[in-house]
Amino acid sequence: MKKLFTMTIGVLTMVLLSSMQSTAQRTVSGTVTDASGEALIGVNILEQGTDKGTITDFDGNYEISVSEGATLVFSYTGYTSQEIAVGSQSQIDVILQAGAVLEEVVVTGYGTQRSKEVTGSIASVKAEDFNKGNVNDVAQLLQGKVGGLVISRPGANPNGGFNIRLRGISTVGASTEPLVVIDGVLGGDLNSIEPQDIASIDVLKDGSAAAIYGTRGASGVILVTTKRGSAGVSKVDYSGQVSLDVVNRTPDVLTAEEYKAFGGGTDLGGNIDWFDELTQTGVSNTHNLSLSGGTSSTTYRLSGNYRSIKGVARTTGFDRLNFRANVTQKALNDRLTITANLTTSSRDASLGFDEAFRYATIFNPTTPFVRDASNPSFARWDGYYQQVLFDYYNPVAIIEQNTRQERVKSFAGNIRGDFKLTDDLSVALFYSSQRSNNEFGQYWSKYSFLVGENARGLATKRNQEFEDQLFRTEINYNKDFSGGLQLSALAGYEYQDFLYQDFFAQGGTFLTDAFSYHNLSGAADFNNGLGSVNSNKVTSRLISFFGRVNLNFDDKFFLTGSLRRDGSSRFGAENKWGLFPAVSAGVDLTEVTSINGFDQLKVRAGYGVTGQNVADSYLSIQRFGPTGNFYYNGAFTPSYGPISNPNPNLKWETKSDINIGVDFAMMDYKLTGSLEYYQSKTNDGVFLFNVPVPPNLFGQTFYNVAELENSGIEMALNYLVDLGDNKSWNISFSGSRWFSPTLVSLTDAEAGVSLGGFRDGANLGSPGQNGTPLVRLEEGKPLGQLWGLVIDENKQINEDGTWNFVDVDGNGVQDDISDRAVIGNGFPKYNLGINNTFNFGKLDLNIFLRSVLGHDLINTFRAFYEAPNVISAYNVLASSADIKNLTDQPQFSSRHVERADFLTLDNLTLGYTFDSASLPGGFSNLRVYFTGQNLFVLTGYSGVSPEPRLTDTGSDFGSLAPGIDRRNTYFSSRVFTFGLNVGF
Amino acid sequence: MEKFKISFKMLILALGFSAVAPSCTDLDEELFSQVSADNFFQTEEELVSALGAAYTSLYGFAGNGTVWGIQEVSSDEVVVPTRGPDWGDGGHWVRLHQQNWTAEDPLVNGGWSFLFGGVSATNRLIYQFELLNNPLTEPFIGELKALRAIYYLWLLDIYGNVPIVTSFADADPNPPTNSRTEVYNFVESELTSALNSVTDAVDGSTYGRVNKNVVNTALARLYLNAEVYTGSPQWSKAAAAADAVINSGNYALESDYFANFNVDNAGSGENIWVIPYDQVFAGGFNLVMMTLSYLNQQTYNLAAQPWNGFCTVEEFYNSYEDTDLRKGQPNTEDGPSAVRGNFLVGPQWDVTGRVRLVDDGTTASGIDPDGTPFTLRAFINELFPTAWREAGARIAKYEFEVGGRENMNNDYPLFRYADVLLMKAEALWRQNPGSAEALALVNQIRARAGVDPFSELTADNLLAERGREMFAEAIRRTDLIRFGVFTDAWWAKDVQPECKELMPIPKNQTDSNPNLVQNECY
Repeated sequence: MKKLFTMTIGVLTMVLLSSMQSTAQRTVSGTVTDASGEALIGVNILEQGTDKGTITDFDGNYEISVSEGATLVFSYTGYTSQEIAVGSQSQIDVILQAGAVLEEVVVTGYGTQRSKEVTGSIASVKAEDFNKGNVNDVAQLLQGKVGGLVISRPGANPNGGFNIRLRGISTVGASTEPLVVIDGVLGGDLNSIEPQDIASIDVLKDGSAAAIYGTRGASGVILVTTKRGSAGVSKVDYSGQVSLDVVNRTPDVLTAEEYKAFGGGTDLGGNIDWFDELTQTGVSNTHNLSLSGGTSSTTYRLSGNYRSIKGVARTTGFDRLNFRANVTQKALNDRLTITANLTTSSRDASLGFDEAFRYATIFNPTTPFVRDASNPSFARWDGYYQQVLFDYYNPVAIIEQNTRQERVKSFAGNIRGDFKLTDDLSVALFYSSQRSNNEFGQYWSKYSFLVGENARGLATKRNQEFEDQLFRTEINYNKDFSGGLQLSALAGYEYQDFLYQDFFAQGGTFLTDAFSYHNLSGAADFNNGLGSVNSNKVTSRLISFFGRVNLNFDDKFFLTGSLRRDGSSRFGAENKWGLFPAVSAGVDLTEVTSINGFDQLKVRAGYGVTGQNVADSYLSIQRFGPTGNFYYNGAFTPSYGPISNPNPNLKWETKSDINIGVDFAMMDYKLTGSLEYYQSKTNDGVFLFNVPVPPNLFGQTFYNVAELENSGIEMALNYLVDLGDNKSWNISFSGSRWFSPTLVSLTDAEAGVSLGGFRDGANLGSPGQNGTPLVRLEEGKPLGQLWGLVIDENKQINEDGTWNFVDVDGNGVQDDISDRAVIGNGFPKYNLGINNTFNFGKLDLNIFLRSVLGHDLINTFRAFYEAPNVISAYNVLASSADIKNLTDQPQFSSRHVERADFLTLDNLTLGYTFDSASLPGGFSNLRVYFTGQNLFVLTGYSGVSPEPRLTDTGSDFGSLAPGIDRRNTYFSSRVFTFGLNVGF
Repeated sequence: MEKFKISFKMLILALGFSAVAPSCTDLDEELFSQVSADNFFQTEEELVSALGAAYTSLYGFAGNGTVWGIQEVSSDEVVVPTRGPDWGDGGHWVRLHQQNWTAEDPLVNGGWSFLFGGVSATNRLIYQFELLNNPLTEPFIGELKALRAIYYLWLLDIYGNVPIVTSFADADPNPPTNSRTEVYNFVESELTSALNSVTDAVDGSTYGRVNKNVVNTALARLYLNAEVYTGSPQWSKAAAAADAVINSGNYALESDYFANFNVDNAGSGENIWVIPYDQVFAGGFNLVMMTLSYLNQQTYNLAAQPWNGFCTVEEFYNSYEDTDLRKGQPNTEDGPSAVRGNFLVGPQWDVTGRVRLVDDGTTASGIDPDGTPFTLRAFINELFPTAWREAGARIAKYEFEVGGRENMNNDYPLFRYADVLLMKAEALWRQNPGSAEALALVNQIRARAGVDPFSELTADNLLAERGREMFAEAIRRTDLIRFGVFTDAWWAKDVQPECKELMPIPKNQTDSNPNLVQNECY
């Protein structure tokens, strides 16, 4: 697949090159100045629809070679961009007007607004500001770029998704991830979209902006707009890059020499660095080819992208092939506009085995060999060295003997028709369909000690299908009234159907490993009743009516109001519908009265109500299903019974918030920024409560009970430093402060449910530390509380070698349950990003520093593998040396909670743009660049990655248990990328 | 003309809207992979399948997290030592053995959830079957009431003061606590009336289900412990209930004690009521995983590596005479023991019985008393924190199957005829310490075990004999309480206040139901 694609690109490129040779090119030059006649240095000049461009020199002069019929776009930070059709001109002098930032188009959901009109909290990030380098996931484009938006992926697992949290957490049971809307399709998959195809991303942060998305807006909304073609000559662009992923941090364990010197260990005679054995330099490459262009009535953009990504852990990575086509066609005297998008994505991933990481931590570094196929003592494990101890497996055997793969295919298409009934009134119809299919296959070898050996091989195959269809109608009314009043109004109806189905089969007892998971009939388990097969189908539906009115009084006063009525099939019969209103207003004080020093000073405030759906269908109705078998009249007979407690009154979770903000521009728009404060309250939060049995059938029921409060501050600043001499420095800062979200109440006397003040959860686990909750949920206290025994910091270990815990309750006994206390908080407080872009003529340099502060992490590697007395068999962490006198067992306490503040040089990019005039014929632009990601990290955290852990996957608390660094954390890496962009 | 065109387009648009209108606000849910009550429980097969829920609720009994664990680990029979980094689990296994449990401990919670889950399941079925008024399901109602009473018998024993809930549709959302005496009276009355409604058949149709003998055995247990439960002994009633089982003539002692516990024990003529565990159809009995060492995977070619947890208190192991067939013979340096017993001790061997298992000379607990050879020993060096991995005789009463899986195929005996004989003996002895009949009954049990008869019965030797015979059958805690020694000191455990004879009401229950009253002591 990969070869074929690369070859195809090669051939295409050759064909294009030869055909383009003949395309007429000519040179245009001129000067760019501001309104006062001052030369503007470093103005971007781009041939529209291409990557071909240049910048002005220190006298404001430029020269560019363009194609016939080209349009030039002049843009300069802080100034309004201009588009100028070249025509027959060879000299074009341009005067740019300051204040562009206020004219920028911001996507608001079901529409757009000019930046200056926005009264809610919306952050807009354009493609040129995205994070660069080996970026395989759209979320990574935004990391550190938007105040209040924390995007985190501990470790560098290429198949691991990012966790995204906007403004802390405002729900206890429902989705904490923002809603993703891709080109108007609600519920898009960020993972299947190619980052290179994205033109801009807008983030709706507050309730007044997000309420138009009603029940799906409570955790914020991320609006993705893909690139489209524009009228002009067809363009072909190629970009490609090669990246090297190099291991950055692994757990710090004893080496063989240190292990022997430590004492007490068993020297088996060898010397193996298990992390070395598990890791590699991941060599990845990506290729993107796009064609775009169009006429006055038709525009198109087609793109194909191929990525071959290898992780730093051996056997992890993926290949992905994406195609996207966007076409816009105008008809009926431009009154009808039809837009169609088609995308396909296929991804073949090798997931690897996270289990191997923890065993690499504890496997004896003096092990004589990894594998010796000729050694008869190890024949039962196919020669891999193993020892029979509890929870102890050769990590290399795990990744080499077994297979875990995934194939994802997705297809999405949508079509939209906009019809202008009059100049002011238009209607639109939109239909979208998305399908994706995820095929998972896994095989544990007959010789694999961890799982496969005595199951005699174990194969799993699972197929999951996701489908949704969306239908929408919209009516838009835009009118400029005399007296400076502009009105735009929207009304719409939306209907979205969701379907999920899966098929699962698992069986073992194979005669041979030869089939892997590709021939389940070879599993004798299916004959003897021990194989398992399952299938499942779930649907749900959302129906909505929505409307919005935007008023602009002479660019002075702005007012927006919206209303959405949402219905979901998932709720109780009487509670299906919810109403979500919002209103926001702003005034630009510089337009109303004269204020010295400000070009813009807009004060705005908004209030909005958003909602959250519940995580699953059918929670409100009583369902029966197979519940095993029982012995009836001499044979086992299927048993059917209820499978959960229904809650027929289940309803929407609602969040109401206020947002107050100031947007400003100063110093001729060189300094721009915004500052905002938000406060929100969540009511009727859905939580799985303990209920008495009987009368209930099961011990837990979903109830709308939780009450949460959340607040924070965000700031964004952008400053353009004119360094003269064809040099500029643009510095931008985004920062946020999350005040810990507070769990106000988990009690509802009326419904008869109560948390009893608190609940502990997120168990640490085996070996030996089950029944050890790490997190406490407590009424009236912040969310994210880490909970456990408190070590005496002055003297961690008693004379007799036992842990010295603080007797918190003062009852004279250490180490009982009542001596546990709050020992940290997993939510970060500050999230900061500073971006510096330097332009030195054709050279550009981008330095992006990112910092997250104020969060704690539980280092579970240390909680399990630090106690020195396990050294006789297991390797231990280097930090064991600090507690060498300990004879006690590993036991979690505040000792294992670490502050995880960090500052990272997230991204450094050095680029060179060739002078288009100097390029050989046929080339219109060429840029080469080098990017380094995660080049250094300053942190006191001793684990693999100090990134906040926003969710505890697989534990009972999930997103309510931030701050736990589990033992399956993938290694972190540094990434070095070399790339080039070529335009023809 | 322009105007006309617009309204024409509007009309088309309006038509477009009306086309989707019928479904535009339909939010009913459609089920695919489950069923609702509306379209199920119609045919005979479907009705029978409903009954299953009452019995599948029992499958949690012999796992490690509910009644079996409470009854055994809180007693002087079984411990779960903390073996280095294994089995610490926040100390709850040690607390359970030392009787220092809290209302938040997992087994306190697990036992309650398991038992009341069973009560709730039976309440629902009784309600539904009463509504149906179908001749097929009519007989199930009496059986379900008896089963519910047995769940309450365990609740009475473990938690004492619990809410009595018998309705489903109109049940109190926060049912109040009933006193232990009220619960006793409820169980007595329910079981007594069940005698008239359940079948007295003893055949394949009642295997694993509640018949008259099951009800009588439950009554015998209830009466035998009546003094503990209410303060008033009911010895003669206990003897009468036991007699009812004995006189049914359906049961006899197996000549081989282990015929009751082997993998293929379905034909035992001694087991009155079993949970018919099965690795395919009825999983949940995983003692093989809980008790065996990791290395024993090779002894039995098990599909998964066992967890090296539960083992026998050494004093209890030593309470058997060496010739006691129930104790069996330990393995030796020459090979696996030829005489299987309740315990697995001594040098360990692979599945062929010819290759001695070795543990590579390392142990995570720091000390391996005999180096590389792998030897299970009855001696347990300490309860925590660093019990040897090899320490403790393993619970081998329920035969381990070669090639077995996590879920065992042995049927688990809830009620057994030998217990009925011993209960009768005790009831007679309590009324007349010199009862010859009582002595004869006990000696009947001893004779089968190949040990000499007692010359007289004392509290000590009767309790000890019950212990040896009923080892690992989830009755020891109850017996120790009845003999007044439950809170005494024994290995690795101090004297406790008498109120520890009842477990606490779990915290998450008192949290969610304000009408519950916590037991004394907690």
